[in-house]
Amino acid sequence: MDQVGQPQGWRRPWIVPLALALATSGWLLAVEGSQGLARDEAQYFRAGERYWGWFEALADAVRSGKPRQAFSRAVVDSYWSDNHEHPPLMKTLYGLSWRLFHRCDCVGAKQGLHPIAVHGKHRTLPLFSRESTAFRFPAILLAGLGVALVYGFARRFVGPWAAAGAAVLSVAQPHYFFHAQISCFDAPIAVMALLVGWAYWKSLRSPRWGILCGVFYGFALATKHNAWLIPCFLVVHYLWMRRGDFTWEPSKGSQTLPRWCAAGEGARESARGGQGGLSVPKAGGLPTRFRLRPPRIPLAFVSMASLGPVVLFALWPWLWHAPVARAREWVNRHAQHEHYNFEYLGQNWNLPPPPAQAGRWLLRATFPFVSTGLTVPVTTLALAATGALVLARRRRKKGPEDEPAIVNLEPPEQGARASWLRPGADVDLAPGMFLAVQILGPLGTLALPSTPIFGGVKHFLTAMPFLAMLAGVGLAWVTRQAATLVRPTRLRQALPAALAGLLCLPAVAETQRSHPDGLGHYNLLAGGFAGGASLGMNRQFWGYSVLPLLPWIKAHRPPSNRVYWHDVLHDAVMMYVRDGRLPVGIGDVGVGESVVAQSDLGIVILEKHFAVYEYLHWEAYQTTRPAQVYAHEGVPFVVAYQRGAPPPRQEPLPP
Amino acid sequence: MRLSSLFDADSFRRNRLAYACAAGIIALALLETANALLAPLRAPTDQDWRSAATSLRAGFRPGDLIVAAPAWADPLLRMQLGDLIPVAVAGRLDAARFGRIWEISQRGAQAPESQGSRVVQSSRHGALTLRRYERPASQVSFDFVAEWNHAIVSRVAPGGQVSWCYRAPDRFDCADPPAQSVRAELLEIDTSPHLALATSLPGHATTVIEFDHVPLGRELAVGAGLHNVWLRKSGKGTVSLRVLVQGRELGRIPAGSLTGWTLRKFDTSALAGQSESVRFEITVDDPTARYFGFAAEARS
Repeated sequence: MDQVGQPQGWRRPWIVPLALALATSGWLLAVEGSQGLARDEAQYFRAGERYWGWFEALADAVRSGKPRQAFSRAVVDSYWSDNHEHPPLMKTLYGLSWRLFHRCDCVGAKQGLHPIAVHGKHRTLPLFSRESTAFRFPAILLAGLGVALVYGFARRFVGPWAAAGAAVLSVAQPHYFFHAQISCFDAPIAVMALLVGWAYWKSLRSPRWGILCGVFYGFALATKHNAWLIPCFLVVHYLWMRRGDFTWEPSKGSQTLPRWCAAGEGARESARGGQGGLSVPKAGGLPTRFRLRPPRIPLAFVSMASLGPVVLFALWPWLWHAPVARAREWVNRHAQHEHYNFEYLGQNWNLPPPPAQAGRWLLRATFPFVSTGLTVPVTTLALAATGALVLARRRRKKGPEDEPAIVNLEPPEQGARASWLRPGADVDLAPGMFLAVQILGPLGTLALPSTPIFGGVKHFLTAMPFLAMLAGVGLAWVTRQAATLVRPTRLRQALPAALAGLLCLPAVAETQRSHPDGLGHYNLLAGGFAGGASLGMNRQFWGYSVLPLLPWIKAHRPPSNRVYWHDVLHDAVMMYVRDGRLPVGIGDVGVGESVVAQSDLGIVILEKHFAVYEYLHWEAYQTTRPAQVYAHEGVPFVVAYQRGAPPPRQEPLPP
Repeated sequence: MRLSSLFDADSFRRNRLAYACAAGIIALALLETANALLAPLRAPTDQDWRSAATSLRAGFRPGDLIVAAPAWADPLLRMQLGDLIPVAVAGRLDAARFGRIWEISQRGAQAPESQGSRVVQSSRHGALTLRRYERPASQVSFDFVAEWNHAIVSRVAPGGQVSWCYRAPDRFDCADPPAQSVRAELLEIDTSPHLALATSLPGHATTVIEFDHVPLGRELAVGAGLHNVWLRKSGKGTVSLRVLVQGRELGRIPAGSLTGWTLRKFDTSALAGQSESVRFEITVDDPTARYFGFAAEARS
């Protein structure tokens, strides 16, 4: 401890975030093995490996003295066309990590299971026994980086313990934790949004960060299309922060008003004392048109608009040969997205409501807010609500003593003048509005009637790190209240750490409890897994939950080898085989309703809209009795049916 | 040690509300942590399910209905007792014909099927409660799905031309358009199972399913809806089911993508005890991706 009661570690600003990042990545690595492979994730495994294949092709081309060959459209497309509806950054990292860190079992029976040709045993640094872990490693590292970023960002507003608490709360959310383990894009884009947000924040006082903001935005664009929304939220904050700059000014070449009108305007202006808004020319009458003069465009936005697309283009070979057409295809794919099936409050949503059913739209619009309220740990929500109140009161304080919780490390600089390079030099940076738009922006976007039905917290996951920062402000406030009450100095010094630990404990406990079914977890308000199921909230998606049933499936593999895997994609089945969790040659009758009858063992992932697949098994296998059910805290997630299980006693219906 | 040496009483008096809020958050954290640790222990175990199933089997009689409360526990229930829940029971029209209902419940839930019934037996099995309910059951005098092979099925064109559908061992085959059939089938309607008379529909003709000499009771219960979540998502048309007895219309049931499983009970008390013809006429405004099903029971 130093003289002001802070551990020495706080003085080296990189130690705590590094420790938090390592602890987070360690936690995720420790548990990811019990997390099943998600459907989309399996496609990204395949795409990542293919993308790696292009680098191998490039190396071959260089060795053969024809490096340009690897850049030809045919070669580029043969590798990078796979899964081109999503940008490549994370998939490329997944493929690279797989190539570097898997324990190669790639020859022999498993050689043909790869999407690219495997010519021999790979030389690797075999950190991970499962190939899927090697794929997931970059996402897990990025999640650690996200936690470190939350700490660093929160330190702009609160003390070290509260910032550390915010960092822990950012990952200790069951749904976020689920996504942080897997090699998809939802946790990575949340980290990227945070990174861009931080760079933007710092760019308000530093031109260097303005340039970095554009580079980071390019990374975000190359991660997931949610990045398109990031500037919208930042613009709202920027305009709010610089709202004092809005002025009305006469437009150039404006004409004079008729005399009667000019007299009226002049009279009105005089009544206002000549202050504010209208600038009245001394001669020649009033201009007819006025122009709203907004604040100047800052470097960060210029950088995002210019460097962002450049970085995206550089990172995405699929764009290289037809950048405009393919970028348009990418945008159209997501702008015209189909409606998903999603269970919310007991209904399956997959269609926009007809105009006559406005109530259905209103119900649907509540989804992001209700889902957040029922999935984020309640203590975290309470802390965030407290933090929101603290930040809302901040500008209305009566004196310095009335700022109990947050510190302002970036007060307006005395005598500084704002410029496009340092656009926040002379004003308060409005952290409350910044956090508000970063949290409400993603949620509000999902609530819009024009937004396709997506469902899932993952679609507004970018809000969660900022929500955790808000909770950090609330934690600082609670700590401050407790500190003003406690007299003994030692006790007071211990309070920040003790309260940070205590207030993070429920989130950590809930998160650990939820694993590996974070998607089906609901908080104390909802009543946990069972409560969420009773409320008719979505339980899962992506077919990841089959993992606990694999040993049973392996043991009961039918002699015909005809297995129906339902929502578990063939790519996922193949990765389970490569991971050694299923035998080589395990059957897969394919997808669709018609193939259920061809199977002798079938699983059904229990989502509301998948009910039809269970009934197909009833008919095909002539039983309603599952041979096995996987449940978490008594809530079923997957059922397995087996043809030829003991036939049911056919009980006649009563008359 | 005196409390006043630990806490600043003056400060407390000045900021009671703030301290109460802070204390509330701390208390919430403790409560939530305790709940996170203890709640998993409240979930029913396999042993609980086995014990409840053993008790149920000891008292089960053919024709009893078995339900789970809440309904999401149904797969676990069926894993233990699925041999006592044939497809016809799982895909029932409703629960009116069942006089004895076994319910395995948890967390104080009650199934809609058992509401309004009398509890005659109850036992605890860990986190589960097994109850047997009894109530007066409807007597089904004619089950239109079970008796599907007694129907006369035809397609009537707008001009009145009738084309007959011919009975195969498991369905009626209709020639107009070819390869369309009417059959008793387990459907997914509103994400629930329903054993129903099912057909896809031609846009230009009325599908007519008629039963002669149906012994009528006090009411005619008819349920209808559209099968298959993907078809409901992609199609837009509305199907209309017209119900006629003795050529007199009792009512119509519309079925669209969002109407779910619609159950109507038509009063036939004036015809109770008589055998009459019952006719179902099915039309659709846009047949694309529409697969319709209905079930009906004459009850007394």
